[in-house]
Amino acid sequence: MISLSSPVKTRAHDWPAGMKLAGLCAATIVLFFIENLAVHAGILVAVTGVYLSAGALFFMAGLRQLRVLWPFVVIVAIWHIWTGETQQGAVILLRLLSALALANLVTMTTRLSDMIDVVRLLTRPLAKLGLNPAALDMAIALVIRLTPVLAQKGSNLTQAWRARSPRKPSWRILLPFTVLALDDADHVAQALRARGGFTPLKDP
Amino acid sequence: MEKNIALIALFAAVIAALGLIPKITLGFGVPITAQTLGVMLCGTVLGARRGTLSVLLFLLLVAIGLPLLSGGRGGLGAFATPSAGFLLGWPIGAFVTGWIVEKWRGAPLGVVATVAAIIGSIVVMYVFGIAGLAVALDKSLSEAAFLVLVFVPGDVIKAVIAGLLTAALFKSRPASVLSRYDG
Amino acid sequence: MTRNPDNITQIELSDLCFAVDGKQILQAITQQISVRRSGIVGRNGSGKSTLARIIAGLVAPTSGLARLNGHDLVKDRKQALRDVGILFQNPDQQIIFPTVREEISFGLRQLGRSKSVADQMTQDTLAGFGKSHWIDAHIHTLSQGQKHLVCLMAIVAMSPKLIILDEPFTGLDIPTKAQLTRALAQYQGSLLHISHDPADLAGYDYVIWLEQGAVVQSGRADDVLHAYIAEMTAVGGSDDIAVLSG
Repeated sequence: MISLSSPVKTRAHDWPAGMKLAGLCAATIVLFFIENLAVHAGILVAVTGVYLSAGALFFMAGLRQLRVLWPFVVIVAIWHIWTGETQQGAVILLRLLSALALANLVTMTTRLSDMIDVVRLLTRPLAKLGLNPAALDMAIALVIRLTPVLAQKGSNLTQAWRARSPRKPSWRILLPFTVLALDDADHVAQALRARGGFTPLKDP
Repeated sequence: MEKNIALIALFAAVIAALGLIPKITLGFGVPITAQTLGVMLCGTVLGARRGTLSVLLFLLLVAIGLPLLSGGRGGLGAFATPSAGFLLGWPIGAFVTGWIVEKWRGAPLGVVATVAAIIGSIVVMYVFGIAGLAVALDKSLSEAAFLVLVFVPGDVIKAVIAGLLTAALFKSRPASVLSRYDG
Repeated sequence: MTRNPDNITQIELSDLCFAVDGKQILQAITQQISVRRSGIVGRNGSGKSTLARIIAGLVAPTSGLARLNGHDLVKDRKQALRDVGILFQNPDQQIIFPTVREEISFGLRQLGRSKSVADQMTQDTLAGFGKSHWIDAHIHTLSQGQKHLVCLMAIVAMSPKLIILDEPFTGLDIPTKAQLTRALAQYQGSLLHISHDPADLAGYDYVIWLEQGAVVQSGRADDVLHAYIAEMTAVGGSDDIAVLSG
């Protein structure tokens, strides 16, 4: 499965992922305390500049990812034009755009493996609460490996449906799909056990 | 232990796969995105603990940058949209759903699972979703609630489907419905 | 196009190409099949399954033509349901309903039959296979071979003019395979059998040999299969499994 980190390499790709994440959290919190329209406009311009500095491809990819906000833009725009509070509406919209653009920026400039390293770091204290780090590693790898396989099986089921019906598949197709997932879980568990599982063997 | 890891991982993969396959219909042509149905099933089938872990694992994978949300969305940006509150509600919703199915033994499983999905996955999810929406759009809770009201009926139908699926699954493989498997 | 008097399904493929994600799966396939028993043979990954799905109208070709009895089955799904059935490899990825009755009546209801007519036709189909006692059986109680048979019955119930078989015998034990082969041999309509194993196509009329998406040879089953077996044996002596695609 391809992650959302950008193939266009930027300087930020080499910055420590943990720092980028911490910076993002701080920036997002700050964004929500700023009420000044001019400041928000400035921030959005700065963020846009960062995207543009990585090239046209990077910028266009970033722009595409902002499309998900369009229903909210419409709602906020209509709402605030209706109530006459256009300045407040603009602040809300600029804030939304900046927050999303910054979050996407971190995702686009961080490799999947670096993200997983941060996860390992952040979940280390949870080991005391019973979280097995090897188990989490394995679980992440399993989901990445098995999602396309499961999706293919789901696709086969929908084809089998369409082979006998002119209509699109109904929810009933989820029953055999769930059964397939449960069967796969059995096979995976056996495979894990066969390779030693998670309980370390005691030295003789 | 291995069985737990495998189940948690596979159901996270189910939620992901449901975001990849095209929309399914309600039987009379109305399309629904099946992904939240997957979240409900995590609760009703796996129970509170495993179901929650499964949803958390899924969200973790989304956060680290995998495009697993329906529409190919993912990454930290998924948690930076006005609807991010709903995502935060998913694991807590799965927990409540699973807990209800585990504890409430007095009624047929289909009914229990449907009610559990409504209270757990819908009510909890919307509480967090509406709160998040209110903060992001700088609106009151009731204003935010008004915006998402239109989606509730569709989600209730999904909860009914989750109930039917869980009951059917229990009929053919009782041992796999871990929320009820006492063995 | 006039229907031939023997009512044998006519499959027409004209310059058929199929590519996905930039990868060419089928290239310029041109074939006319009009026999009762036809087959497609080739290695795994040769594009046979994709071709089967295109002929069934489940997948649209990227370019070129695929017609069954003159119809475009991608566009005309209702006609497709009447003309062709397709049996896939894995019953677990094919059976949708939890009971035999529901599974077999599904296609009949989709064809427009009423509930009572569909139920009667389901019972008739089961009786035809000598499995009337399966009517109330639950799928999860059936063995793999029995599930394969349910899939076949679900298709036969719809009486399509052509049944496409996409490697339907994979993993079956010898007796089960023999029983299913016998059940298929009795089918009055046409069969198009996809397989990597030439033994499955013994006695067939026409075979197409597909290699990396292109037709290597096509014609009389005996001729094509003979050449295919010779080539596969030769390739078996090499190490082309080492080659990575892309």
